[in-house]
Amino acid sequence: MNRTSQPTSSPLSRREFLTSALAVGGGLALSFSLPAQEGGPPRPAGPPAAPRSPSAFLQIAANGAITIITPAVEMGQGGHTGMPMIILEELGGDLKQLVVKDAPAEKMYNNPLFGQQSTVGSFSVRGWYTELRRIGAAGREMLVAAAAREWGVSPAECTAANSVITHKPSGRTKTYGSVAALAATMPVPQNPALKDNSEFKVIGTSPPRTDVAPKVDGSAKYGIDMVLPGMLVGAIKAAPTVTGTLKSFDDSAARGMKGFHSTVALPNGVIVLANTYWQAKSALEKVKVDFDPGKLGGIDSAKVSALLHSGFNEQGAVVRNDGDADKALAGAARVVEATYEVPYLAHACMEPMNCTVRANGDTAEVWVGTQSPQAVQAAAAKALGLAQERVTVHMQYLGGGFGRRGESDYAMQAATAAKASGRPVKLIWSREEDIQHDFYRPAAAIRFRGGLDASGKLTAMEARVVTSAAPSFGGPPNAGFYTSSVGDMVYDIPNLKVTGINKDIGLRFGFWRSVNQSHNPFMVEGFLDEIAFATKQDPYLFRRSLLQHEKAKRHLAVLDMLAEKSGWSKRPAGHFYGISAFAAYGSFIGSVVDVSMQDKTIVLNRVVTVIDCGVAVHPDNIVAQLEGGMVYGLTAALRGEITLQDGAVVQSNFHNYPMLMMSQMPKTESYIMPSTAAPGGVGEPGTAPIAPSLASAIFAATASRIRSLPLSKHNVDIIAARA
Amino acid sequence: MIKLNINGKQVDLDADADTPLLWALRDDAGLTGTKFGCGMGLCGACTVLLDGQVVRSCVLKIGDVGTKAITTIEGLSPDRSHPVQKAWIAENVPQCGYCQSGQILAAVALLKANPKPTDADIDAAMTNICRCGTYNRMRAAIHRVAKGTTS
Ligand code: FES
Ligand code: FES
Repeated sequence: MNRTSQPTSSPLSRREFLTSALAVGGGLALSFSLPAQEGGPPRPAGPPAAPRSPSAFLQIAANGAITIITPAVEMGQGGHTGMPMIILEELGGDLKQLVVKDAPAEKMYNNPLFGQQSTVGSFSVRGWYTELRRIGAAGREMLVAAAAREWGVSPAECTAANSVITHKPSGRTKTYGSVAALAATMPVPQNPALKDNSEFKVIGTSPPRTDVAPKVDGSAKYGIDMVLPGMLVGAIKAAPTVTGTLKSFDDSAARGMKGFHSTVALPNGVIVLANTYWQAKSALEKVKVDFDPGKLGGIDSAKVSALLHSGFNEQGAVVRNDGDADKALAGAARVVEATYEVPYLAHACMEPMNCTVRANGDTAEVWVGTQSPQAVQAAAAKALGLAQERVTVHMQYLGGGFGRRGESDYAMQAATAAKASGRPVKLIWSREEDIQHDFYRPAAAIRFRGGLDASGKLTAMEARVVTSAAPSFGGPPNAGFYTSSVGDMVYDIPNLKVTGINKDIGLRFGFWRSVNQSHNPFMVEGFLDEIAFATKQDPYLFRRSLLQHEKAKRHLAVLDMLAEKSGWSKRPAGHFYGISAFAAYGSFIGSVVDVSMQDKTIVLNRVVTVIDCGVAVHPDNIVAQLEGGMVYGLTAALRGEITLQDGAVVQSNFHNYPMLMMSQMPKTESYIMPSTAAPGGVGEPGTAPIAPSLASAIFAATASRIRSLPLSKHNVDIIAARA
Repeated sequence: MIKLNINGKQVDLDADADTPLLWALRDDAGLTGTKFGCGMGLCGACTVLLDGQVVRSCVLKIGDVGTKAITTIEGLSPDRSHPVQKAWIAENVPQCGYCQSGQILAAVALLKANPKPTDADIDAAMTNICRCGTYNRMRAAIHRVAKGTTS
């Protein structure tokens, strides 16, 4: 057997171990402290990882039930399946005995890669992979040791699989549950042996997701479904501008209405509380509210665009400076210039923002679907005037997250209303509130200049990246962040200069599925496509020629697999293909879009996506994420646009912020590159390649270059092909 | 008091006649499987069946329901055994799942009216939004039911 060893951890805490062991009533609970995983991407400033107690992740009861507490929440991305699978793999546990629980808000569950308890950034599997495997492996060794002791044999003579320990020479067996109590008294191995990838039995398979069954009969509980005795329901109206503040309100017309309880003033709006949501919403409509618009007052989308463009004339922070781009551009035989731009976008999670809070004197409870339990805990605690640890967060399923539910504004509001009313409160935002009070994907623009020598070789490039990101939690975004996929591109361009500048307009910035990769690859890949066509080169082969070096190996392999799977070199007559590929979230992703023309209408025949995400934990779920991400990106590319008028968001509901529908859904093919590399991210990367690949295909078909989104602004009609 | 026939039971609800069926189901009848997505009849998260036909319950007042039989996701089967539910599980359709109650009921109505729908039929009948983008899996699940290979 070929096993890999991990570095030694700090010694276990005996006291913590006993406490944990007691907590599962005679079953197995593990305790040792694990060091934060090293070797990942640089960790942004944040609290250091707390020591981890494996019993906080894995508990085995005498009846055999394997409870796995997952630090990743479930928002449809598979957190409640993928994370447990990693522990079960090393534990040798039976999937059928799995019970999944959400981790409570506690530092112990801070992601090792970035030091926060947040299900964001496609960080869950890649951040937790090694630690979860070690927890599972330690559990298996303790169970084997317990069985071996009962039999009076050497643990080396025993194997463990499917929750059963077998003594090989005698064929005797014991279940995990039957030895769990004894196992809990065994020393915790500080350096458990991990399986070789070739021995995986769980990782790389696609069992049914644990959250699917309750989602087909209405029994899955989302935050919005919470009901408490004596609970009031709140409807909210916040200032039309997200920087606005409440000046005054008059609720006299609402006071006599059926079910009305009270009106709660917030710094930026009002919440009306009533017995039911409909009563609250009906009463809210009768409340007269006066707001001050704040910093955004008078700003409209034309101004936003002008401000972005003004950034091109400013210096900006230099994030990449290879060779001498200024000189090379000045001496180039030919210079190609282009400006790309994208608008603000809202998340539009299917479940509108909501939160339920019950204050119990010196403690409080919160029921919510959130990507960031500790942020919710802190927000509620602040509103209630409690210490953070006095607030318990009960995690619910998320009806979509996409980055929006990493914020906790709605938790602060619900807690404020619970405190003011002295009653449990469930606050539900309308769709209008949701779209008009989001944390937005920023509008952004890049001006490119590419220098070609006499032979047509791309020798220089300059990219001026301008964003409009207002500071959010964690302070103002830095240039290294919002220039990602530009500043860190691996294309072989000898003279490359990338600068970044942030023109903060005041519209609050949010992490929108794939974040900077939702726009930068559209622009970089679009510009490279322009260079390819300007120099009469095949867009695939042109990219290939810029990726002939060691650092670009995985990127290039994805590009080649895309060409192979899409049949790039055998494009049927009348079919036009567009291509893009790049690194994203520790993975490598790309797509080929296949279109044809029907008069002036573009027919989307299929989208072929390839990802190299390292070890594929649950391939079927990865494919689902690639498709879902593609839809998210395609929705934005076709018609996604948040505009401002007098500082307020114009769009309000799905009639003017439309979503992709079944009838527009293209045929998809998704492929996962076989790999034994450490896992990369999956949830976000799939969103990114559709816009650049589609724009590239449109150019191939129509010779018209799409340099801004959405496509609806360019009078392009697109339909999905149907057999 | 308004009398409604919900999932085969007569229910008396203490709600005004102009209350949308969606909120009467969720807040008054305690059936939270029917979801709120837009409140304007645009997304279909609130889809229920009225005498077997799809309706968007956020824009239907309970005073207008009359004696028609309301079927919500909770009333589809006691044990996830409806062929559409089984097909949804077999195809691992749901992601966040929030739209799925409405999607499943829309598929039930479609398959009842048209047991062998074409892709064009599915495009025309399945008009609910899925923000997670599960469209192709829903399509596959509907074809699975049509072929009788639900598990
Ligand atoms: S909530 Fe009824 S259609 Fe959207
Ligand atoms: S599964 Fe999330 S909206 Fe459809």
